[in-house]
Amino acid sequence: MADKQYAKPGEYSIVDMLAVASAREVKDEEVVFAGTGLPMLAIMLAQQLSAPNSKLIYEAGTIDSKGDSLPSSVGDPRCVTKASVASGLFDVFNQLQRGKVDLAYLGGAEIDKYGNVNTTVIGDYLTPSMRFPGSGGNPDINSLARRTVFIMVQEKRRFKEQVDYITSPGWMVKKWPEGTLVHRREAYGKKFLGGPSAVITNMAVFRFNEEIGTMYVDTLHPGVTREQLQENTGFTLDFSHCKGETEPPTYEELRILRDVVDPEGIFLPPIK
Amino acid sequence: MADKRCSLQEAIQMIQNDDMITFSGFVIWRRPMAAIYEMLRQGKKGLHLVEVNSGTHAELLIGAGAVSIWESCWIGHELYGKVPHCLDRKMRERSVIVEDYSHQHMLYRMAAGAMGIPYLPTWASRGTDILNPEYDMLEKSGLRNGANERIPAKKFDFAQDPFYNEGEIIHVPAVRPRVCIVHAQQVGEEGTIRITGQTYSDEQAIKASELVIVLAEEIVPESYLREEPERNLIPGYLVDAIVELPWGAHPTGAYGYYDVDGPFIREFAAASKTDEGFATWADEWVYGVKDHEEYLNKLGVSRLEKLRANSYRKYSTKVKRGTR
Repeated sequence: MADKQYAKPGEYSIVDMLAVASAREVKDEEVVFAGTGLPMLAIMLAQQLSAPNSKLIYEAGTIDSKGDSLPSSVGDPRCVTKASVASGLFDVFNQLQRGKVDLAYLGGAEIDKYGNVNTTVIGDYLTPSMRFPGSGGNPDINSLARRTVFIMVQEKRRFKEQVDYITSPGWMVKKWPEGTLVHRREAYGKKFLGGPSAVITNMAVFRFNEEIGTMYVDTLHPGVTREQLQENTGFTLDFSHCKGETEPPTYEELRILRDVVDPEGIFLPPIK
Repeated sequence: MADKRCSLQEAIQMIQNDDMITFSGFVIWRRPMAAIYEMLRQGKKGLHLVEVNSGTHAELLIGAGAVSIWESCWIGHELYGKVPHCLDRKMRERSVIVEDYSHQHMLYRMAAGAMGIPYLPTWASRGTDILNPEYDMLEKSGLRNGANERIPAKKFDFAQDPFYNEGEIIHVPAVRPRVCIVHAQQVGEEGTIRITGQTYSDEQAIKASELVIVLAEEIVPESYLREEPERNLIPGYLVDAIVELPWGAHPTGAYGYYDVDGPFIREFAAASKTDEGFATWADEWVYGVKDHEEYLNKLGVSRLEKLRANSYRKYSTKVKRGTR
């Protein structure tokens, strides 16, 4: 777009910001693996704008669908509309393991500075204070896609020095059966394809120093200060590579999100 | 050939207490819900659930106290309730043993069962606590001692790739359920299964299991299914019992037949936050109705008609899903 008209704070919601920032991670022609919710908004927005030739695989087993009604989950019949192939999990997870997936979006309840994510339990595993839904495909996708992008809520209790349980592997992971902390490259050896590439939250975009495996602040969303971000993070943030402000949504991006991608308001909040 | 058609009550009588059991579908799609309700009415106990992924149906069984072991990777109701309240509660009170794997692990475990081999190798989920030997709960419970032939001796094993020198690979043990209950769109009177839309992990779950019970929206002539065999998933000789049961997956959805009943699942998920809430809900919707027909009558025609799929689109165009 030659003439980008950026929306002003107050003209877009946090969900809009998350969807738009996530959509910008997709490169054209990429094969993208997506789960339910915000990832669907992100990839469909990207397909409308910057990545028309990207292919979308839904975790439950449909490939490259071209529906005109946003699915409310990956198992939804709407995923099947005009798909290239309607198959099952065995097919798509085999393709993932075969190395065919370039980018995947994931979420999580907790994340640590290495990008390890917990979606299993809060507290001690054997005597937890809270049970979450569990791993699902999160650890598989994060193991076997070339890049993963996490979409998360920025809260001190969610951004931790160490997660309570590593459901999904970041850049420094545990090598079993010993349980020693090693770099992802060592844990995956010849099967190393990549790893967490970005964490997009309601306050900022983070990326990783892949050599030492730690997270750094890439951009802060408009109106968010470094102090506020640190306040909502459980470990000391690295601002040394901070590029400034995240580009806000453009009016065109907002229009496509609301009128084309999710006109029913399934994942987007109601318009005031 | 013996007639495999039977009533839902007869089919569910084939399930024994303490059985290892698995189901068709994906989280809130094409789950054999009518069979779950009937299992609760018949008071099944001590079930060992092994699933690629779990959902509303499993929360019902767990909440009712019918499950002693749950092996899977994810449980919840997607948009309609992310927290698995029943599993959370029963896990913390230690009445259910929870064994966590990843999606790919469970899928490959089921595929190994379907292939008749003891395990499959995979690279997935290296570096995670899923592989932490301290969290092998069946081992910690003393259940990997060989007394139960369906429980493997180890949760995982590790071995070096002997062929391409690609390093250490994870072995996941086969799953060999005694029972699989399937909800299909169509089944022939000899048992040939046709599933339309996404097939999820149904093929692996069915082929890994010893006893296969199929609930179907329709029983159709075998000769009709044989006109286009490429559209069929499972041959009839792998199927043991057939029940024709329209709307048998409600409140989960079935491609081409009906959508998910989101408000119904949301109400159940909210009620399941406490034992009392669960009991009240189950008294109304499970124990308070005699059978599937009474359940459908209680739901009412207008509720069901709203969910019915458009014959071209394969989903309902009448359900209000979002906030606009």
